[in-house]
Amino acid sequence: MPLPLDTSQPKLASGCRWGGTDDDRVVLYPEGMVKVAGTGRRILEACDGERTFLDIVEELQANYSASDPIKIREDVANFLASLRDKRIIDY
Amino acid sequence: MSSHPLALIAEITHRCPLHCVYCSNPLQMTAARAELSTGDWQRVFCEAAQAGVLHLHLTGGEPLARADLADLVRAARQAGLYINLITSGLGLSEDRLSALVDAGLDHIQISFQEARAEAANWIAGAKAHAYKIALAKSIRTRRLAFTANLVVHRQNLDHIAEMIDFLASLEPDRMEIAHTQYYGWALENRAALMPTGAQIEKAVEVVAEAEKRFAGKIRIDSVVPDYFARYPKACMGGWGRKLMLIDPGGRAMPCHAAAVIPGLRFDNVQEHSLRWLWEESSAFQRFRGEDWMPEPCRSCERRAEDFGGCRCQAFLLTQDASATDPTCTKAPTHQLIDAALLAANSEPARSKPVAAESFSQLQERTRTLWSYRVDPA
Repeated sequence: MPLPLDTSQPKLASGCRWGGTDDDRVVLYPEGMVKVAGTGRRILEACDGERTFLDIVEELQANYSASDPIKIREDVANFLASLRDKRIIDY
Repeated sequence: MSSHPLALIAEITHRCPLHCVYCSNPLQMTAARAELSTGDWQRVFCEAAQAGVLHLHLTGGEPLARADLADLVRAARQAGLYINLITSGLGLSEDRLSALVDAGLDHIQISFQEARAEAANWIAGAKAHAYKIALAKSIRTRRLAFTANLVVHRQNLDHIAEMIDFLASLEPDRMEIAHTQYYGWALENRAALMPTGAQIEKAVEVVAEAEKRFAGKIRIDSVVPDYFARYPKACMGGWGRKLMLIDPGGRAMPCHAAAVIPGLRFDNVQEHSLRWLWEESSAFQRFRGEDWMPEPCRSCERRAEDFGGCRCQAFLLTQDASATDPTCTKAPTHQLIDAALLAANSEPARSKPVAAESFSQLQERTRTLWSYRVDPA
């Protein structure tokens, strides 16, 4: 499970796209879908292939300034790596 | 129950240039002249999206047998559905593939029979293997997600490692190792297709190793076949809970095989809306929920996980569609499964693919082994 680098530019993997409604967002993939809400949704929506992993982490650290920034970084890295294993994210 | 179906399986035709011995189509197929029109399908796709369906699986038969396929894809995409095409690839020219991608196709699944051309063609009953490889290469030059599917059984499982490497060489996003399920033609040919216990054990090991090797590159989906598992599969995610299938003639069904169950009445999309069919059609209500369940399902702690297994399999093996799926080790009829496995394991010679120079020679040498799927009139 290789973790993203600071310069990685995560994006939805081939065959995945957004679906559902604004209140009920899902990522569709060939044989299913994942519902995304809250911070998970926020991270995934930032995975636009332009922003780097570092951009995404810094944005979250700024938004959740009461939380431990190192922990935020680790959590985002693990989250993206697990989605990469499921072929939902590429970086 | 879900208030709406999540996926629609559209069996748009039963016509197919292949004759696979494990085909899940019913033995009695819909004739070409009885197929739904382009307009009917387009209306169904709009109704499906409005009802909350997210995925559309276009299958058959061979969906490419319909000349209006790109029009169907375009309508489904405009309605907002995620579109998966399940195809053999026969009849898919470069131009036609471009038209499908332009129309909004999201994903394509090609099913392979073997790594070796002669054996693959022998199982499919048609010279299809080389076309599939050419198509896979063309797909990788386009913006289209690709699953390589492999149906495994007694006659090819001895080559499982070689077959996985072959599929990986086609660079799919996803690989599906599908153990044969015994409905339709596969049930007719069960004795020739049922693997030995040793083949299954080996397959589990090889697949687990491949999952590690390709992690992050190719997603591999595979489940232990229900005859070899402790508990039944949650067939279709439960009767009338997640999926709706519409057959070429427009009949709405809870699954591929439901037509085998006597006494079920299937209403037609030509006469009813998709929402009505889901909510009101008696066939969808028949085994929805838990009221129909016998013991040991009724008091089983797993009833909300596997929903009592597969109704069609229960009927096909016990002649009672309300019985506990016999593949469950708690089922009173589980000895039927034990007997099938015992027969499979006591005839090891059947698991050795016959050596032959060519496809026609192979067919000749295995004339009594199985029946090939025939095309509808």
